[in-house]
Amino acid sequence: MSILMDDTTRVIVQGITGRIGSIQTKWMLEYGTKVVGGITPGKGGTIVEGVPVFDSVADAVKETGANASVFFVPAAFVLDAFLETVDAGIRFIVVIPEHIPVADVMKMRSYAAERGVFALGPTTPGILAPGIGKMGIMPASLFAPGRVGIISRSGTLSYEFAGLLSQIGIGQSTVVGMGADPVILRNLPDILERFEKDDGTDAVIVVGEVGGEQEEKAAGYIARQMTKPVACYIAGRYSPPGKRMGHAGAIVRGTSGTVEGKESALRAAGVTVLESPKEVTVWARRHKLS
Amino acid sequence: MRLHEYEALDIFEQNRIPVPRRSVAADVYEALQAAGEIGYPVMLKAQVLVGGRGLAGGIRAAATPDDLKEAAETLLSSEIKGFPVRKILVCEKVEISRELYVGYTVDGYSGRPVIIACTEGGVRIEETVKNHPEKVASLHIDPSFGYYPYQARGLLKLLGLKQPLISAWSDVIGRLYNVASSYEALIAEINPLVVLPNGTLLAVDAVLEVDDSALSRIRHPLPDRIDRIENVLERRGREIGVSYVDLEGDIGIIASGAGLGMVSMDIIGKSGMKPANFLETGGGITADLLYKCMDLIMMKPELRAIFINVYGGINPIHEGAKGVVRYIHEHKVKLPIVAKALGNRQEETWEILRSGGVHVVTDTATEKAVEKLCEIVGQKAGQ
Repeated sequence: MSILMDDTTRVIVQGITGRIGSIQTKWMLEYGTKVVGGITPGKGGTIVEGVPVFDSVADAVKETGANASVFFVPAAFVLDAFLETVDAGIRFIVVIPEHIPVADVMKMRSYAAERGVFALGPTTPGILAPGIGKMGIMPASLFAPGRVGIISRSGTLSYEFAGLLSQIGIGQSTVVGMGADPVILRNLPDILERFEKDDGTDAVIVVGEVGGEQEEKAAGYIARQMTKPVACYIAGRYSPPGKRMGHAGAIVRGTSGTVEGKESALRAAGVTVLESPKEVTVWARRHKLS
Repeated sequence: MRLHEYEALDIFEQNRIPVPRRSVAADVYEALQAAGEIGYPVMLKAQVLVGGRGLAGGIRAAATPDDLKEAAETLLSSEIKGFPVRKILVCEKVEISRELYVGYTVDGYSGRPVIIACTEGGVRIEETVKNHPEKVASLHIDPSFGYYPYQARGLLKLLGLKQPLISAWSDVIGRLYNVASSYEALIAEINPLVVLPNGTLLAVDAVLEVDDSALSRIRHPLPDRIDRIENVLERRGREIGVSYVDLEGDIGIIASGAGLGMVSMDIIGKSGMKPANFLETGGGITADLLYKCMDLIMMKPELRAIFINVYGGINPIHEGAKGVVRYIHEHKVKLPIVAKALGNRQEETWEILRSGGVHVVTDTATEKAVEKLCEIVGQKAGQ
């Protein structure tokens, strides 16, 4: 199967009437996602791509039975929309936008954690479960149904790794963009745990990046809890230290968060460390993945 | 955005953190005047937006006007870690009985602000933290409730401190937290926080980095973010809305995500070539944006080839291809260009790129595209 999304996932799109929200709604529907409603305060009663628009999340939940939400809301309004969504009882939220103030992300994360909400992002392409649906902006043509899980900090690298596998006939159970900000709504080990428990996943690929501590902490979880094979690639070996590389998450601070440090922690946890993305195909064949 | 020390000290002072008498100077004459008003001896501190300034020779003492003239001239004509020194801060030199450290930052993994206190501050703080963990204590703050003074008192007690230092230091921590939260800081730091012979505290240094994503809602005057960027090309990148980092090599890179940009650099680097830049467009590629990106990376005359690695995300990718080809035609670009472009409407994208003479790689692997690049610029892969 898949993690976080399945046949019962009924999605609302927040910010559905915006330029990006409406085109992405069209593409999510084309991919087979059950998009049951959209939210834009003040635009309730209208229709976008055949989907009814509501003024509030509570209205949408009541009318459509929605249980998941994807955000295309301008960064400045995300915190408000997020709290509303949690309060309306939605338990899975994907926050696509970038440039959300970190103070807001910290509040969102603690609000979600206290209420048992699983949230991804911000600064994520979202999640895609081949054959089931997608919440976010991942370009569908690169993915194929199968039994490999992918978690990536970077959006574009999740496409690259899924594409490399699809190209040799190996599909994915679920592809998750964990988000590229310094604070994300759910840490890497929590996502790994979902894959470990998923009957539809045989192995997992972690695509990490220089900076932060997510990969080091994941190594601890993998060593203690994971039985499925894990491969990883850490981008940024040739990035100059101390320079910002697009997202703040990729700042090298001192020696913590270096590519070498992450790789040795992961290797010690029994993870296969890939020297280059293309090696993922060799690893996948060795484990006879499909 | 990181603020200069003199700007951060002003902000600290407005928030009632005790700071030294000081004045900022852009030339020797201003420095002499400032020192005359403050009274000798003084400290001169280079104002550059980079850490490790003390160890790099950016801080000097001056006991007389002659000393000062010499030190100010040296500093103002120097560079620190590649950053030219345009201003110096002239500060009163105080008698130090003890140096402490206190800092605020965001702990990414726990998703909470953290305050770190160390009973030994100074330029070697990182070594101290590593070698003497007993001198360091940290305190996580609930992002919804914020900081309360009892937390700092408990933290300092943990470090074995006694009154009246605990009260004085807790006050500074509370005020530093106020600065950090009202300026949406990613880092707010005092190193060292000096204990004067009479037992009072003085912040003789100030670091403040503000969250760029929050700039539009911070209700205090702040310097212009784009003016802060020293490198002309990096400034231009910010203006057109992309992340650009200037590097020393000769292969221009355009990527549609930070991760893909880093992987492109990794594989190009591994193949023995050197990237001239890092450029990341983000997901919203348009024809106009890629036209401007081409214009930006072409500003470096040493460029030998261009490497484009993009996925369609928010928009279909053929739009971007049109921008690249328009640039090639308008500027009669002769440099070899290798492109890997995938996503919605990719076949159409490839045709557009080929019409501009671009070498299109249709494989998913970035390695394949770099192999093509090697072939064209005459470098063996894996060197």
